[in-house]
Parts: sequence; structure tokens; C-alpha cells
Amino acid sequence: MWLMYALLVPTLAVAAYGFYHRIKPWFVGKPLDRLDRPAQRIVRLLKLGLLQQKTIRERYAGFFHQMIFWGFIVLFIATTVVLIDYDFQVPIMRGAFYLYFQSFFVDVLGLLFLVGIALAGWRRWWFRPPALVYTKEASLILALLFVIGATGFLIEGWRIAATNDPWGAWSPVGNVIAKISRPLFSEDALLILHRSFWWLHMGTTFAFLAWAPYTKMAHVLLSPANIYLGNLDPIGGSLKPVDFESSEIFGVNSLAQFTWKDLADLDACTECGRCTASCPANNSGKPLSPRDIILDLQKLSRRGEPQAPLIGATVSLSSESLWNCTTCAACVEACPVSIEQLPKIIDLRRHLVMDQAEFPEMMQDALGSLENRGHPFRGTQATRLDWVGDLDIPEWGEGQTYDVLYWVGCAGALVERNQKTVRATAQLLKTAGVRFAILGRDEKCTGDLARRIGNEFLFETVAKENIERLQSLGVTKVVTSCPHCFNTFANEYPRLGGAFEVQHHSVFLADLVRNGRLKPSRAIEETVTFHDPCYLGRHNGEYDAPRELVQISIGKDPIEMPRSRERSFCCGGGGGLSFVEEPTDQRVSHRRAAEAVESGADTVAVGCPFCMTMLEDAVNAKSGDRPVKVKDVAEILWQAVNQQA
Amino acid sequence: MNIVVCLKQVLDPEIPARDFKINKERREAERGSANLVTSIFCANALETALQFRDIHGGKITVLTYGTVAAEDVLRKAIALKADDAVLVLNDQSSSPDPLQVASVLAAAIKKIDAVNLILVGRESADWGAGQTGGLVAEILGLPCLAFVDHIDLVDGSLRIRRQTETGRDVYMATPPIVLTITNDDHNLPRVPKTKDVMLSSRKPITKWSLTDLGIEPTPGYLKVAELGIPEKNTMCEFVDGETLDDKVATLARKIADVIQG
Repeated sequence: MWLMYALLVPTLAVAAYGFYHRIKPWFVGKPLDRLDRPAQRIVRLLKLGLLQQKTIRERYAGFFHQMIFWGFIVLFIATTVVLIDYDFQVPIMRGAFYLYFQSFFVDVLGLLFLVGIALAGWRRWWFRPPALVYTKEASLILALLFVIGATGFLIEGWRIAATNDPWGAWSPVGNVIAKISRPLFSEDALLILHRSFWWLHMGTTFAFLAWAPYTKMAHVLLSPANIYLGNLDPIGGSLKPVDFESSEIFGVNSLAQFTWKDLADLDACTECGRCTASCPANNSGKPLSPRDIILDLQKLSRRGEPQAPLIGATVSLSSESLWNCTTCAACVEACPVSIEQLPKIIDLRRHLVMDQAEFPEMMQDALGSLENRGHPFRGTQATRLDWVGDLDIPEWGEGQTYDVLYWVGCAGALVERNQKTVRATAQLLKTAGVRFAILGRDEKCTGDLARRIGNEFLFETVAKENIERLQSLGVTKVVTSCPHCFNTFANEYPRLGGAFEVQHHSVFLADLVRNGRLKPSRAIEETVTFHDPCYLGRHNGEYDAPRELVQISIGKDPIEMPRSRERSFCCGGGGGLSFVEEPTDQRVSHRRAAEAVESGADTVAVGCPFCMTMLEDAVNAKSGDRPVKVKDVAEILWQAVNQQA
Repeated sequence: MNIVVCLKQVLDPEIPARDFKINKERREAERGSANLVTSIFCANALETALQFRDIHGGKITVLTYGTVAAEDVLRKAIALKADDAVLVLNDQSSSPDPLQVASVLAAAIKKIDAVNLILVGRESADWGAGQTGGLVAEILGLPCLAFVDHIDLVDGSLRIRRQTETGRDVYMATPPIVLTITNDDHNLPRVPKTKDVMLSSRKPITKWSLTDLGIEPTPGYLKVAELGIPEKNTMCEFVDGETLDDKVATLARKIADVIQG
């Protein structure tokens, strides 16, 4: 026994050094408060950590991970029980507890553990999904865990066989091994086998313990910690402001410029690859992999050069890869351990835009237009009032008061197809008798585009101008047609002093229907599928209101595409990408359109002007002979309401 | 090399055509809600100068003749790392007379002193007369090459590439010289770094009046007599006639009327 403890001390020392080695690089990061709201954090930890609500979204992997996870925990408890009973001489392995828990339950969970490992191995060595990272380390971890579990059962079985344990049947797996072994080995041989395999078992366990913190197995502790420290705000509000007064460098181009939490994220990664598997850019064959960004940053972090430049250091960190991000946040949503890939990508983009002034020409054009003309649609011949036509809609002047400001948005007012959407919305508002006004020619971009591309300075400038203008007019409530505008109002203006009550038009219109102020006739004979806009859904958690509008208008629920709600697949237009020409064979929108067409719906409903323009072209290209339309939920509702009128 | 780049502030030429209005009385464009921007060929000229300086070094002074608002054009150039900026205040009129503008610019360039290379946009985005560069050269007694899209320095001489209708000419020239710059894929204006934008507001701008330059406000040689937006009218008329021959004869007569006025 003393020998075991003599070995345990260096084992733990090596393991502790391993953890220290992992945690040390975090301290070069900038400060960030992630210890606030402990109650919410504990709930988060229980949901995402203990119950693994995100891990189990992927069925096969989620299933075996549950087996390994609970097996690991129960075996750990059982080992602790042995330690207390045997080594500390506190007799707790007694009676019913011994039989039900320590013998039967532990045996069953141990079996699940082994089966889980086998299933993981089967996936890794047989199915070989591309999301995984194929390293010797990962293979060795599985092999070691299997050896530890298997030798555990063997020594249990041989103990039962050698001692003729009368309670052996309570350990079903051990008992089977005992029954097989008895006719094969003498009692002496069993004792020798038991003793030698006991050392093999302990040796492997200790080796694993010492090595684990240096591998992705550190996730056993670091991932729950990361979940606890995760972002509690909507994803749409997770970009950090830039301190222009005191910063010398804008954006991030070295590890030291990240926050400590960004660096902690890197060590929480389990290499599961769900982020990359869900990434629309990656799915459409573009060089962007959120998983590789995290893992490459992790490697660089361990190299211990916190000042070394990051952009271009690896393929995943090249500007070419970073400019493919649509900021859809599928990666953030998919990550089971609360890693925030998106804010890091934006941090790196900020550096490219603000510090190096190097970014795609078409994005430069869009931002140049935003700066000079208040909208990013360079060369448009439309004006902000074209959509109004014969509708009598007041413009909010000084000294006037209205209940609601209808924020039309640049993409709504200046892109011809979307003018129908905002017209339908305005007609619905008028029909419902809402006292609303628009800013008309004085409306300017909210700045979302500048922020997502990485020009935080331009964003702040236009945001402050907008806030000042709206405050001087006495605006308190805003309804937007664009989820990007909505997100900016909801999550970003408050930090700059602009707290307005804001709703996306789908939410506001759903309320009007519920209150009986809009009465749809339910006469539309169409099957509809709804495409969740990233900035309404994933970024802000609103999935139901637009579906409700569809349901009200067509009298039945919309058809769901395979990827919907939080797992919805981006249209390809976010993050400034709608202003960039994609290679024809790598269009995100075409992949999404194909999915929408395959759903069999006559109409693809959207709730975002960017989704509209991206998907309309793509659906036309993908729908073949069958006519498939793309409509905004407001247009569908207006159809239903107007038919009755 | 001491380079002067002349910049002109113009009404944003990219506003929707329907938003473009003219004040017939004053014979000038109405500002409306349009922004004031740097005329595009001037921006190409600045980019050409910046690229030249990136390789061969030197000093860039940006120069404009305009109202106080034109300071913005200079600030943007400073954000792109122009070394010095000079605003000659125009408190007279918005006369488009290129000779008047050129004489002011030439006087300012003389005052800047020891200038080797003067870059001017090939034409402005508002009036588009395309004369200022040539007139500046004339007044200063310097040679001028127009439609230049690239400059290089070879053994102390300037290697100048200009666009022609059929291709490109390459010239060798000894400074000082005036060049009018046209656009090319390689001289698209760059975007500034944010730090430089923030710093650009702190840099002092030299402001001269016409008196400082020792020149009299000259009367314009060119006056705008009339200014309007071309109106396009379409009319549709059905040609009458009993028979096809009648219709053809009537149509032919109408065409002849139009042709003969």
C-alpha cells in the first residue's frame, strides 16, 4: 500500500504541473468579468455540464459520451469509497450500500463505460467523421481508458473467483469473469493474476492521471469550468467594445490582446468538431474552420509567445479564412463547452480592418458608402422613401410624438425586393391602428455591418449619431424589419447609452394578432417552411413569433427543414458577406436553398431582408420546374389579413 | 521627391439620379442631403503618390482650393498619411472656371516651394472640364502629361505610364512635371487605418487666403450661362391610314419631319 501512495504523490505532482501549465497562459489575457451572476452560472453548469444538454444533440456521440461520462463519475466515486474504507479505515463499504451501489451499480456503470469507450473507438476508427481530429493522443486516450476499465473488471472477477466471494453475484460482470476463470486457472494462478493485473490497472491509471492534464482529457475539469465562465448574454451581444482612448492596437493580433476568458476557451476545447461541422462557410467548401482556429490558437498559446502575431500564423488564422465568416454563430451555439469562436474571429477581423486596413474590396466599398451616404448599398438608385408610394406614412419630426418608430433599415428601403416587405409591414401597422412614424431620409445604417466586418470605430460613430438623434426626437419604442438592426438596438446601443424598447416586426405583429388588432382570414393555401435568420434566432433566441405568424396566416404549422431553430443554416449573407461575390460552387445560399426546396414547401418564409435577397436568387436557381417563392413573414400575414378586408 | 497632390471636394456623385437637383437661378447643383466627398480621380492621384512614396520615399503635400468644408478632404488625406496639407480658402464663388482655379493652385504650389512633382486628377467628378492640370503646368511653365496611371523612379528620372485610346505610352521625364492622373486597377484609393483617422484631426492644416498668395481674385473667364438636367421625353403615336401603303406614307412623312426639324 505504501508503494501505491509513494507512486501517487509524483503522479499528482505531474498532473498538477500539467494543469498549471494549461492555466498559466491565461494570465497574459486582458481582464473580463465572468464571475458575476453566480446563480445563473450554476444553472448553466448543471444544464450544459451535468446534463450535457448540448453534447446529446448529436445522437451517437452524445449517447456514448453519456455512458463514458456517468461511468467515469460513478467509478470515481467508487474509487473514493474504497479509499475511505480501506486506506482511511472508515468502514463504509457495508451492507446494502455495498451490495446495491458499490457492487451492482458500479459494475453496471463500469460496463457502460467500457461500451461507451468501444462505441467511441468504433466511431473514431471505423466511421471516421471529418469533424474529428485524428491524433495519436486521442487514440491513446481511448486505448488507455479501455485498458483501465477492462483490467478493473478482470481483477474484480479474479478476486471473486479466488476468494469464492459469496456476494459475487452482485457484481454481474465480475461474476461472469469469475465463472469463466475458475475452470481455467488454479487458485494460486488466480492470485498471481490478480496481483499482477492489479498493478497493471493501477499503473495504467496513474500514468493516465499524470498524462491527462497535458491532453484534451483536461476537459474533464477545464470544460465544466469554461461552461461556468461562459457568456450569459444573448450571442448577439457578445462582441466586446474597443477602448479607443487608451488602446494602442485595435483588435487582436496576439494572444496577449485577447481576454483571459478567450484564452481559457482554448484549453476547454475537446476537439469534437461540432463547430466546424455546423459552419456554413466550411460546409460550402470555403477555408474557414472554427475548430482549427481554436486548436491552432491553443497550440500557439502553449508555445508561450503571447506577443507573436496570430493573423497568417496558420491556415485557419489566415485573413482568407477569416473573411469567410458570416457571423452566424452556429459554431458558438454548437459548442458543448461554451467556447466563443465568433468574438475571436471578429477580434482578429478588427485588427485587419482597423490596424492593417486590409480587407476585401467589396466590403471596403460597402463601408465607404456607409460612411459617406449612411447606407452600404453603393450605387443604388433607390431612395429611402421609394417604398412608401401612395401610403400615407408620417415622418417623425422634431416635437412630434408617436408610439412606435418603424425602423425600416437600409436593406429594407433600398433593395427593391425588400420594399414589398416593408410596405406590407407598414400596411399591417396602419391596419392595426398603430401610431407609428418613420425617419424617412434621415434614417441611417445602425452600424451592424461595420461592427461585423470589424470597423468598430465606424460602428461607434454611427451608433452614437443614431442614438443622439432618436433621443432628441423622444423615441422610446422601435420596431425593426431587419434582425441585424434589431440586434444592434437590443444588444449594442444600450452599452452606448441608447436604451430603446425594440422588437423585431415578427414579434410586434404577432402581438397585434394576439390582441385582436389584426385579423387574418386564414385563407392562404400554401405550404410554408420558415428559415430562421441568425440574428433573430441564434443571436437573440426568438424562434416562435415568426412561426406563429406563418401558422396564423396559413392555418397550419410551417414545415421544418432538417436544420432549423438554433441549428438553422445561415443564408450566407451575414458579416458583410452579402456584399461579397462568392465563388459559384461555394455559395452558402445555394446549400440552404436546396434544403428549403427539398422540404417540399411552396413558399420559403424569411424574416430578414438579407436572407430574402440571398435566398431568392438561390431558390430560383435550385427549384427547377416547381415554382417556389420566398416571402417575408410580414408579406404572408398581410396576404392573410388583406384577403379578409 | 516633393510631391503636391491637388484635391477637389465635390458633391457625392453617387447619389441616386432622382435626388440630383439644380438651382437654375444660381446655376449650380443643390447640396440637398448629399455628402461632400473627394473627387474620385483626385483620390486616384493621391493613391498614386502614396504608392510612389511607399517605394521611393519623399514628401506628400495635399492641396485644395475650396471652402472651410473642404478641410474634410484634407483630413481624409492626412489619415492616409499625407505629410502636409494646405487649404486655400475660397470665399468667392463656386465658379467652375478652370483657369481661375489653376492660377490659385499654381500660386500655392510656388509658395510651397521646391516641388518636383504635381499630381492632379484627370478631371473633376462635378464639372469634368479636365483642364486644371494642364493650366497649372502652363502657369508654372512646366511640362505636363495627361491620363497617367503609374509613376516609377528609374535612375533619378521619372518613368511615367499614360493610358491612350489604344494602349499605353511610357515616357521618361525629369522633374519637375505636372501629371494628370486617371484610374487603373492599381491605384484604387486605399482605406485608412483607424489610428490614423483618429490622429488626423489633430494635425494642423495650413490655411492661406488669396492675399497670402499675393494674387488678386481674378474674374472668371468662363461663366455658366444655363444649367439644367437633360429631360428625356418619350411620345407614342399610332400611325393612321386606310391601307398599309397609306400608313407607310404617313410614317415616312413623319420621320422626314423629325429629321428636317
